[in-house]
Amino acid sequence: MSTETPSNLIKHAGQTSIPSLENITDFSLNITDCNQVVVPEEVFFTVAAAGILENLLVLVAVIRNKNLHLPMYFFICSLAISDMLGSLYKTLENIFIILCKMGYLTRRGDFEKKLDDAMDSMFILSLLGSIFSLLAIAADRYITIFYALRYHNIMTLQRALVILAIIWTFCAGSSIAIALFSHEVATVIPFTILFPLMMFFILCLYIHMFLLARSHAKKIASLPTSAVHQRTNMKGAITLTIFLGVFLCCWAPFVLHILLARFCPHNPYCACYMSIFHVNGTLIMCNAIIDPMIFAFRSPELRSTFKKMFCCARYNRNW
Amino acid sequence: MSALRLISNRTSQQALSNSDYTWEYEYYEYGPVSFEGLKAHKYSIVIGFWVGLAVFVIFMFFVLTLLTKTGAPHQENTESSEKRFRMNSFVADFGRPLESERVFSRQIAEESRSLFHFCINEVEHLDKAQQSQKGPDLESNIHIQEVSRSSGTLEEDLNCLTKFNIPNFVNTERNSSLGEDDLLISEPPRVLESKMAMQSSHRILD
Repeated sequence: MSTETPSNLIKHAGQTSIPSLENITDFSLNITDCNQVVVPEEVFFTVAAAGILENLLVLVAVIRNKNLHLPMYFFICSLAISDMLGSLYKTLENIFIILCKMGYLTRRGDFEKKLDDAMDSMFILSLLGSIFSLLAIAADRYITIFYALRYHNIMTLQRALVILAIIWTFCAGSSIAIALFSHEVATVIPFTILFPLMMFFILCLYIHMFLLARSHAKKIASLPTSAVHQRTNMKGAITLTIFLGVFLCCWAPFVLHILLARFCPHNPYCACYMSIFHVNGTLIMCNAIIDPMIFAFRSPELRSTFKKMFCCARYNRNW
Repeated sequence: MSALRLISNRTSQQALSNSDYTWEYEYYEYGPVSFEGLKAHKYSIVIGFWVGLAVFVIFMFFVLTLLTKTGAPHQENTESSEKRFRMNSFVADFGRPLESERVFSRQIAEESRSLFHFCINEVEHLDKAQQSQKGPDLESNIHIQEVSRSSGTLEEDLNCLTKFNIPNFVNTERNSSLGEDDLLISEPPRVLESKMAMQSSHRILD
């Protein structure tokens, strides 16, 4: 996806060829109406690097600590991997653009086109992986609550790994198919329908869990603690809202961008929305940073593993 | 996206004055987008989208808190009688006398701590809370946390639960070997399961 700022490239290209100045002036009036909103490359790379590092930490911690070899943590790892892929994609894309600007890569070569296709499919893989990982985490929690005593038999480690393998195979296949056939209208529609469907399903799972928690709280709450009771149920509502709100706010802008680019590229309103594409991309990378905080770092075991890792590193450095 | 690139490639083939230019203008190759005669603000989709998203998230939050409020806690009198009723039903289910509410609430605390891998963060607070017969989940935050206690403490309290293999991830080796046997024995689980489920759900969401 070469989404370079036209203004930069106009300057770059303007130096090389004069007859096309008319093109510049023709478009300049329209372009200045809704300029591409530029996110500085430093911000891009910082956010992307932070996302990659954080998720890598989560992966390393889960791999190193045997206590964390559980289905629940494997699903969290899957989410971390998909977040990492998203940030990696953005980093590679920026590097790609920089190399193009410096002239090391041509814009129309076959290799670059294939690279671009590969990166697009990596991005779609990341999105689909995120959605399905969130679904798996919600389903895992659902089974933990509603089938508590049989949880160990329902969700064995092997089954969790099989589920993850199926999810990732499906995501990889779909992403390659979508990237290859992206010019067909038919691919965009299922892609954008999948997104709200999954969100709705996850929301239903969590609401059902929430209702059960509420009915349980009703049974054992006592008056002196009624204020506390309200507060803790409020916390449940806040937690759920954060889970789903973060995902929605980070991914929905981009999905809308895809829809608009497909269906109304000529409309000035749509064009103005599409001009904030870089901000949408940065939001996706912010999602990669926030997800470990609301899923992985809530676990004290994982946090203690981090502390051990850093303390050991410090200890080794001292000696 | 490659979608945009392919579209722009097709349209740009007609305008081949300078191939370098047509590539860069890929967003603007869709024909001149005229910004004249706009009835609404040009960023109206952006603003409308974000406002709609914020409204949706806030709406979702209010729906969830409304669900909370409709489950308001009972009065103290009914509360203690409810607890006794619950304890009695618990006794009836397992056919084992429970000495006091304190034991019962302590068992609940033990169960919740040792049986679920979604546990409350402040387990110590829960112990104290249990003494004052508060719900074990009232001061909890939702933290995904392994069980730190083994199911051994539970075995001491409830004979029926000695063989249950509820998620206890600290001692996974020990428990996994008991996996199959546990559930053959566990036929009180129906009632127990619903109680366990309620506690764990409350922990997850708090």
